[in-house]
Amino acid sequence: MRAQLEQYVNLLFAGAPEAAEVKQEILQNTLDRYDDLIAQGKSPEAAYRLAISGIGDINEILGQPTSPVAPAEPASETEKWKNPARAAVLRAMGVAAFILCPVPVLAEQDVEGVIGLLIMVACGVVLMILAAFVAGKQEKDAPRTPQEKLRKSLNSLVWTVAAVVYLILSFLTQAWAVTWLIFPTTVAVNSLLEAILDLKEATKHE
Amino acid sequence: MSIAGDLIRGHTDAIILARLLQGDSYGYEINKVISTLSSGRFELKEATLYTAFKRLEELGHIASYWGGSGPGARRRYYAITPSGREACYRLLSEWRETKEIMDKLLETEGNA
Repeated sequence: MRAQLEQYVNLLFAGAPEAAEVKQEILQNTLDRYDDLIAQGKSPEAAYRLAISGIGDINEILGQPTSPVAPAEPASETEKWKNPARAAVLRAMGVAAFILCPVPVLAEQDVEGVIGLLIMVACGVVLMILAAFVAGKQEKDAPRTPQEKLRKSLNSLVWTVAAVVYLILSFLTQAWAVTWLIFPTTVAVNSLLEAILDLKEATKHE
Repeated sequence: MSIAGDLIRGHTDAIILARLLQGDSYGYEINKVISTLSSGRFELKEATLYTAFKRLEELGHIASYWGGSGPGARRRYYAITPSGREACYRLLSEWRETKEIMDKLLETEGNA
């Protein structure tokens, strides 16, 4: 029964590891009371019950009502969606949609083709956003300096501008055979920007 | 105890200080003395006792130290400080005055 009392007091203070000394003191007093009750001829069960009822309201000591540990729940709810493998699949599907988006236009050569292209681009965007959401946790965990952040946003800006320019030019000129050159050009522009940023950082460090 | 409990609990600090005036003691021993002196009609909960200890210690009226008596038992003992003594005497005289007034106020013909 003494062991049970100890367990009981340990449970009472389970949420307050900082109150180790208080626990020790309350436990000792409770055990003293139990021993005393036994010495008075009480049964172990009765002594146990009386000793526990003698403790009173622990929240009086800990200073505040023990808050239920609810805030952890919503986090694990979104955690379920985080999955690097699923993110990779979604990203691959998004890229495939982007690459294949001119196919409807090449096949139809009219408004229907354009509608098909726009739908595929929309699908690609949705897939990319989903992939980013699913991969969210891993990206947040990765150490990120302000420079890296700048590079990342600059990179996505460059590619978005390139895609918009490509679509506008292509529809206006209908020169699909030529306009794809925008993308290799974008790669070049991107590399140039990276080089400029590298140079800037290098001079800053000197 | 059911009627007077709250009234007595309002004087927890004075009771503890008065007990410690008799010598250093620890939680259960103090509670045991309280129980004996009141013929088992009054007793403090551990939580109430501990909260009072903590409050009195912060006020500097008592000091605590870990001591052992008996095999394996490690207990926190409390000792009254000079300022605790002062507080105890003050509370005692306050109580005597209160008691005197209450006795007068509640006095009736058939109940002296």
